[in-house]
Amino acid sequence: MVTTTARTRLVNPRLGTYYGIFTAAFAAIVLMALMLEQLGVTDTLVRLVMFAGPLALYAAIGIACHAREPRDYFACGRRVPAFFNGLVLGISALGGAGFLALTGALFIAGFDAFCLSIGWYAGLVFMGVLFAPFLRKHGAYTLPTFLGRRLDSRLVRVVAAGVLSVPILLVLTAEARFAAYATAWMLGQSEQLMVAVVVVAATAVVLAGGMRSLTWASGAKAIVALLSLAVPATIIALIVSNLPLPQMTHGNVLRIITRLEIAHGVPIVLAPPLAFELPGAGMEPLLKRFIQSFGSVGSLAFVLMSFVMAAGVAASPALLPRSGTTPGVYEARKSLGWAVLVVGLVLLTLPAIAIYLRVLILEQVVGQAGGRLPIWFQLLQQAGIARIESKAQIVSVGGISFERDAALFALSIAAGFPQVLVYLALAGAIAAALAALSAGLVALAAIVAEDVVHGLPGDAAPDGTRVATARVALLGTGVVTLLLAIAAPGDPLQLLLWGVTLSASASFPVLLLAIWWKRINAWGSVAGMVTGLVATAFLILLSETGAIGLPSALAGAIGLPLALAAAVAASMATPIPGRNALDIVRDVRVPGGETLYDREMRLSRLKNRPPA
Amino acid sequence: MIERNERKPYWRHTKAQMLTSLLPFVLAMIVLPLYADALNDKRILGIPLGYFLAVHGLIVIAFVTIAMFVNRQDAIDHWHGAHEDF
Repeated sequence: MVTTTARTRLVNPRLGTYYGIFTAAFAAIVLMALMLEQLGVTDTLVRLVMFAGPLALYAAIGIACHAREPRDYFACGRRVPAFFNGLVLGISALGGAGFLALTGALFIAGFDAFCLSIGWYAGLVFMGVLFAPFLRKHGAYTLPTFLGRRLDSRLVRVVAAGVLSVPILLVLTAEARFAAYATAWMLGQSEQLMVAVVVVAATAVVLAGGMRSLTWASGAKAIVALLSLAVPATIIALIVSNLPLPQMTHGNVLRIITRLEIAHGVPIVLAPPLAFELPGAGMEPLLKRFIQSFGSVGSLAFVLMSFVMAAGVAASPALLPRSGTTPGVYEARKSLGWAVLVVGLVLLTLPAIAIYLRVLILEQVVGQAGGRLPIWFQLLQQAGIARIESKAQIVSVGGISFERDAALFALSIAAGFPQVLVYLALAGAIAAALAALSAGLVALAAIVAEDVVHGLPGDAAPDGTRVATARVALLGTGVVTLLLAIAAPGDPLQLLLWGVTLSASASFPVLLLAIWWKRINAWGSVAGMVTGLVATAFLILLSETGAIGLPSALAGAIGLPLALAAAVAASMATPIPGRNALDIVRDVRVPGGETLYDREMRLSRLKNRPPA
Repeated sequence: MIERNERKPYWRHTKAQMLTSLLPFVLAMIVLPLYADALNDKRILGIPLGYFLAVHGLIVIAFVTIAMFVNRQDAIDHWHGAHEDF
């Protein structure tokens, strides 16, 4: 077709070949590690190969994709095809939390943990329908830039930069902790030390090329994450059901689980509607039946959580800059379709892993005498992943505690796989966590450099300065993340949920109104963002001190409507927005025509050109 | 480039498409998990029906929703001449 020449020329036609080479190289590393293991090489070396091998490949991609132009550094040159954009978006949305914590939560809490997984892909659906195409049409490099231009106000831009940094920082802290957790298991080192390793690694990969390095290195990370998930689950599915489709064939296992749970007398519990008791970090007992719903998360909390999660993911300031990297509006929409597909596949595989692990525990451990446990369970006990709490002779279901975030790779240990497959599962979790971590770092550094450093005096900075500032900001963001991740106490999943709930209440309402409601003005959006942030943070504090019965992760369910109301009320009370703001919203709504931000940059370059 | 007098109908059409995409999905997001337990004594492909609908079904609905949205919205863009012209 003639009409698509310009657009297809932007896209690198050899992308598939490059990623094929990467996949082959990664497979070679895994096979080499398998051979080394069989040859009797020390475990330390095998671990090091499985950790440093993929990391060296990411770093090589990241450094090879260095960038000098702001368009490359902040938007990957707008040349990412829909599929790869969706792949990267999906894996960075899930991150280490999706891989480690969600598998563990599913394993321990069963059906109730699906409120998170529903929120994850629903968020991508909302993002695709409500936000992504319009942000692509505007083409701003960061969310605060978009809001500032859309509402024609520098105040909005600065306030948005401050407000939206908060959820990004929380997510960054959580993902750094997850990455450090998996790396600590991989290398057998302390978690505190590994926080430094992963943050330095994530920063180093994206430092040279910003969004460009991030995109292509995260594509590689996504491939590693998907492979590491698919390989163990597929092998077990083949053993269990002769069909290599763990996503579709875990039904029979589910039936065995239900039967065994009834036989072992696992109680049916019903939580009050607003209860929200997902398993925390560390050892958690198996208390309820897998398939029974609303045993630890109440029915109302389940629905609210899936919506808060969806709103938080949809308006996540760390993920939305990715919509600017596609060649056009149509691809921006389509990439969200791919993202939903990738995330959907992952979120169908994780419960299969949780179910296989659970059936192994129920069949081979529960009901055994304490001294006659299977070898793999003794290994898990020695590693500190599982523990038997009760002193009774016969092991009961409620007597077993399990490390939540270890469930993903504990399956490979429990199934008696070679150690390398355990390290493969860990490498996948590290890859996903690093993808989310670098996405957050790049987004936050872009906000600091573009909206705070250059946004305050105006946009006149030359191209080289903009990129250099972003690099310095990236280093600074890395240091802040490192300090926060070392200092932050408690459960990283909780930190992530706070980040999501804050993004749902501070970012979602204002972004929604900025695109779908013409009447919103600068005052309304400032009021909305500040109300969302302050009200939700206040509710989280109240909830954590026990003053109110609302779980802190659900604070966004009240913060979001409050922020929406504040934005509408403040807009109606103040004058209608100016001509400029209306022009922009009218252009943002129509896919055709030049990308607004690129046009603005082109015109300002023409204006600043020295006279001939 | 879009005609001046096409902007209003285009946006009306786009809003309607947004609602027809999101409302059924939002409804399914609420209803399917709530009724999962009640449907679990029936089975499909060996998987309890309620679990299957709330886990597999909802993911399929999400994907169909976004895929249909992409196609429908692209058709709307072309109908009103609002599509990208390169």
